[in-house]
Amino acid sequence: MTVIHQPETAEANVETMDWMAAQIKMPYTLTPGQATGIFLAELAGRRLIGSRHGDELIVPAQDFSGTTGEPATGFVEVAPVGTVQAFTTGATGTIGIILIDGSTVPFVHQLLGVEPEMLELGARVEAVWADEPTGGMLDLAGFAPLGSAATFEPKDDPADLAAAFEKVDYTMTLDYRHAYGPYYGTLFDGVKDGRRIRGVKCSACRRTLLPPRALCDICLAPTAEWVDVEAVGTVQASSVVHIEFIGQRLTPPYVYAEIVLDGTSTRLIHMVGDVDPDVAQTAAAPGARVRAVWSDRHTGSLADIDHFELLPGDET
Amino acid sequence: MMNTTTRRVAVVNSAQTVLSPAWPDRQHIDLISEAVAGALKGTGLRIEDVDFVIDSGSDFLDGRSISNCGFLGAMGAHHKEESRVEEDGLWSLSYAHDKIAGGSAKVGLVIAYSKPSESDVRNFWTGLLEPFLQRPVGLDQFSAAGLYAQRYLATAGLKADDLHAVSNRAWERAVANPYVDVAEVPGDAAFWNDPVSTPLRASDLARPADGAVAVLLASADVADQVSATPVWLTGLGSAIDQHFLAAREPDALPACAAATRSALRMAGLDDVRSFDLAEVSATSTVGELMVLEALGFAEAHRGLDAYVGATTINESGGALPADVIMATGLVRLHEAASRLAGRTGYETPGATSALVHGTGGFAMQNHCVVTMEVAS
Amino acid sequence: MSGRSKSIAIVGTGQTVHARRRTDVSQAGLAREAVVEALDDAGLTMDDIDSVIVASGPAMFGAVNQPEKWLVDALGARYKPVVRVTSGGGTGLAGALAGMNQIKGGSAKRVLVVAYDKLSEGQLQASISTLYDPFWGREFAVGIMGFSAAYWHARIKRLGHTEEAAAMVGVKNRKHALANPKAHVKKEITVEDVMASRPLCWPIKVLDVPPISDGACAVILAADEDALSITESPAWIHGMAYYCEADNAADRQMIQSEPLQIAAAKVYQDAGITNPFRQFDVAELQEPYTCFELSYYEGLGLCPEGGAAELVASGETAMGGSLPVNPSGGCMGANPIGATALIRLAEAAMQVTGKAGGHQVPGASRALVQAGGGWANLRGVAVVGSEKR
Ligand SMILES: [Zn+2]
Repeated sequence: MTVIHQPETAEANVETMDWMAAQIKMPYTLTPGQATGIFLAELAGRRLIGSRHGDELIVPAQDFSGTTGEPATGFVEVAPVGTVQAFTTGATGTIGIILIDGSTVPFVHQLLGVEPEMLELGARVEAVWADEPTGGMLDLAGFAPLGSAATFEPKDDPADLAAAFEKVDYTMTLDYRHAYGPYYGTLFDGVKDGRRIRGVKCSACRRTLLPPRALCDICLAPTAEWVDVEAVGTVQASSVVHIEFIGQRLTPPYVYAEIVLDGTSTRLIHMVGDVDPDVAQTAAAPGARVRAVWSDRHTGSLADIDHFELLPGDET
Repeated sequence: MMNTTTRRVAVVNSAQTVLSPAWPDRQHIDLISEAVAGALKGTGLRIEDVDFVIDSGSDFLDGRSISNCGFLGAMGAHHKEESRVEEDGLWSLSYAHDKIAGGSAKVGLVIAYSKPSESDVRNFWTGLLEPFLQRPVGLDQFSAAGLYAQRYLATAGLKADDLHAVSNRAWERAVANPYVDVAEVPGDAAFWNDPVSTPLRASDLARPADGAVAVLLASADVADQVSATPVWLTGLGSAIDQHFLAAREPDALPACAAATRSALRMAGLDDVRSFDLAEVSATSTVGELMVLEALGFAEAHRGLDAYVGATTINESGGALPADVIMATGLVRLHEAASRLAGRTGYETPGATSALVHGTGGFAMQNHCVVTMEVAS
Repeated sequence: MSGRSKSIAIVGTGQTVHARRRTDVSQAGLAREAVVEALDDAGLTMDDIDSVIVASGPAMFGAVNQPEKWLVDALGARYKPVVRVTSGGGTGLAGALAGMNQIKGGSAKRVLVVAYDKLSEGQLQASISTLYDPFWGREFAVGIMGFSAAYWHARIKRLGHTEEAAAMVGVKNRKHALANPKAHVKKEITVEDVMASRPLCWPIKVLDVPPISDGACAVILAADEDALSITESPAWIHGMAYYCEADNAADRQMIQSEPLQIAAAKVYQDAGITNPFRQFDVAELQEPYTCFELSYYEGLGLCPEGGAAELVASGETAMGGSLPVNPSGGCMGANPIGATALIRLAEAAMQVTGKAGGHQVPGASRALVQAGGGWANLRGVAVVGSEKR
C-alpha cells in the first residue's frame, strides 16, 4: 500500500517549501443539447446549421436565444460564408467575430491564413474544415479569406439532419501551486527534516490545533505557541475503503482514518495500514490507538507518513 | 415602494490586505484572517457579535471544491449562518445587505478573497465559457478584451495609444495606494507598446492580484452605536448580460446600465454625476471606459471625459493594477467607504457620497452597483 | 424582530424528470426544464420574475466555472439580477434562503430559485475529493464517502446507529420512491439486500448509497398578498436557517451535528415548534447516505440521542406512520446533488399544499425540511406550512 503523491513537478520546489504543486485532472462527457448537438454532428458532413428563434437565426445552432430565451423552433442549413465583424491577434493566433450570411447573431472563431495587418472589418470569409473530424467545434477549423464564392441558398428545416451529439468528451486539467504559508511551512519543514510534528496552541482556549494556523477557528484568538506532538493518537473515525473510482490516488482496500494525535484537538486524515481489511472493521475502529510509521520519503507532506499502525496490545 | 418596511444598513468598518501579484508565503486563510481581524478592529464589536458571514471566492482559483468549507474558521464563521456567493464580493455584500435590511440579522461580515497566483488564471476565465462552442476556439480573457477594444476604438475614433491615459492614471494612483504592491509605474516599453491581444497591450489589461477584503455591515441601531461615521448603503442593483460574447453589444455594457438604473432607483437618484466619488471595476482599459459610460459618467464612446468630470473616479487606482478576481468589487467598496468615513489614510474632505461598481463573469457579463452616503 | 418582516411563501415548484443520464439536454437545458414547470405551476412568466438565484454543486462537477453565467440564456434572464449560491449538497436550501432574504430586504418581489446538477457528465468521487485541503488528506479521500462512513462507524459505536437501522432507511425511502413520478430509482429492496450488498466504504454499502442523477428543481418565492395573488395555496415558510462549523475546529467529533442542532433551534423558535415529532406531519430530509437520516432524527429532535434506530424500526417514519420521512423517496429516489436540497423544500411545499399526488401524506399541513453539505459542516433547516405565520 503506497501513497501515490506529489506530481513530479513539485520536486524542484521541495527544497524551498514555497509551494506544493497539485493537479486536478478529470475526464468529462458533456451533453451539448439538441440544437448545438445537431450543429456539432453536422460539422463532420461540412454543413453549418443555424437555429431559428422567432426573428433570430443563430449560427451555430443553440437551444435557446440569449437575447429572448426563446427555444429553437427550427433549423436552417446556412452558407459556410460570412463577414468579419471584429478580430484580435494574440499569442495563439487571430480570432474573430463572424456573422454567417443570413444569421442574425455572430459568433467567435479562429481566422486562419490571414495577415492581421491586411485584415479589415467587414472582410468576407469562408469555413475551413478539419481534415479529420474529431467530434467537436474544431471540426470547423475556422475561417479564411473567401475564395471563389459559390452561390448558396439557405435550406430551411433540412430533412436529413444528423442526430444530435449526446456527449462530447472533455478533459479538464487545472494546475496549482499551493503556498505552504508560515504555518504549513513550519509544520512540513519539521516533518521533512526532523520527523517533527508541530501544532499550535490557542492563546484563549489552550487547545492544540494541527494543522497549525494563525487563529483558533472557535475563539478567533491568535495561536502563538508551537507545540511538539508525538505521532501517536486515537482513531476518531474510520472506514474501510473498497470502492475504486477514476482519479483515485490509492489502491483499495485501505482504512480511511481520522486520527486525533495525543495532545491535539483536531483531525489528522490518513490511513491505518498493515491491517487485514476484514478485521479492520473492529481492529481499526474508532477508539483504536495508532502510531505513525514513517516512510523513507522526505517530501515535506503527509505522505512522509507511510501509514498509521495499530499500537500493539492496546486495549482501548 | 418595496423598501418601506426595510431597515437601513451601514458599513461600520472594512479592511483589506495589501494586494500583491503574488503572496507566495501566505495561504488563503492567512489573508482572510488578516482582513477579518482588520474589519473588527476598533469597532468594539467582537466576532461573537457577528450574526452571519457571506463570502466570495472561487473553487477554480482555490483549487478545491466548496472552498468556503475549508476557510470557515479563518472567516470567523464557526457556528454562524454562512453562505458562499460564487461571484465578486459586491454580490455577497448585496446578500448581506438584504439579510439585515429584512430584519433577519443585525451584524454581518462580508468577505472576498483570492490568490490567482496559485493557479493558471487563463483556466479560470476560459472555464467560464460554455464548453461546446466558445471554449474550444481560443477565446480567452485577453482576446475578449481585444475584440471589444477594436470595435470600441473604431467607433470612438480613438487609437490604442489614447488608452495610455487610462492605464497611466490607474498605475500612478496605485503607486500612491499603500495597499497595492507596486513601487512605481511600470517603465518598460513592452508593457506599454507590445500587443498582447491587438489592439491591447499589457498596460491595458488588468493585472491579477492576491488579497482579501472584509466589510462589516450593521443595522442602524448597531451602526450608530459603534461607528462615528456609518456609511449608509442607499442603493443596490445588479444585472447580467447574455452569455455568448459575440451576441452582446459590441462596444457597450447594457447590463451595467441596467444595474445602475436599479441602484439609482432604490437610492432615489437620477444623476450619477452627483456622487463625490466612484470606484469602478474593469478587466481592461476599454472595459473601464465602457463601465464609466454605462454608469452614466460619460456619453457613449466618451469615457475618457469621465475622469475630468465632477466625480472623483478610482482614486485607489481601480482594478487595472490589482484585480483580486472575486474580490475586486468589494475592494472598491472598502476604498470608497473608507474615504467617506474619513478613516486614517483615506481622509477625503467634503466627500459624502459614492458609487461603487463590481463585475463578474467572462468579459464582464455581470454587473453590480452600490451607492453609499455619509451624513454631511 | 420579525414583527414587520414579510412572510415568504413558495408559490410554484418544478422538477425535471430525474435520470441517471439525460443525453437530450445540456446542463442549461436541464435547469430550464424545471424552471418552465415552476413558472407554469405559478402561472407566471419570466417577465414576472425580479431576480434569479442559481444553486448548484461544485463547479468541478460539470467542468463549467460559475455555470449560472451560461444558464442565463436558457432561463431568458438577460438583464435581470442573477447570482449563484453554492454550498455543497445543501446548496438548494442555501439558495432559497438567499431568495427569501432578497424579498425580505426589498431588493426583489418575486425570486426564482433554480438548482441543478448533471452528475452524469463528470467524475463524482474525484470531484468531491477535491473538497479536501490539498495539504491535508486529499489523497485518502473517497469523495465524502470515506469520511461519512467513518463517522457513521463512530455513531454505530456511540449511538447504536446500526447497519440494520440504516438499511431500514434505505428500504423505506426506496419504497416511497415507487410512488414518486419524478424519482428514477424504483426498486423495492429488503434489509437483507442492503446488508448483503457490496461494501464501498464500510460500513457504507452499495444500497446505502443514493443514485447518481441528472436533475433540476425550481421554486418561486413571493411574499404576503403578492403570494396570495399568485396562488390560492402558497406554502408559507415558517422558518429557514443555514449554519456552518469550521471543518477542523478543535474537538469536532460529529457524533451529533452541531450546526444542525443550532439551525433547528433557530428555525423551531421562528416557527413555534416545541415538540417536533408531534407538530410535523411530514419531513423531507436530505440523506446522501442512509446513515445520515438516522443522525438527523436526533439532531432535529425527532427522537432522543441514541433513539434513531428505534425510531426507524418503529415504522413511524414510513408512509402511514405518525411522521413520514421522505415520502418522495428522498435522495434514494434521485440525487442530483446540487438540486437535492431544493427538491426537499419543493416536496415539502407540495405536501402542505396537497399537491404531492401519489405520495401525498393525507392532510399534511406542516413539514420539516433539512439539507446540508460539505464536510457535514453546512447544515440547513426549514419549516413550511399551509397556514401563514
Ligand atoms: Zn481557541
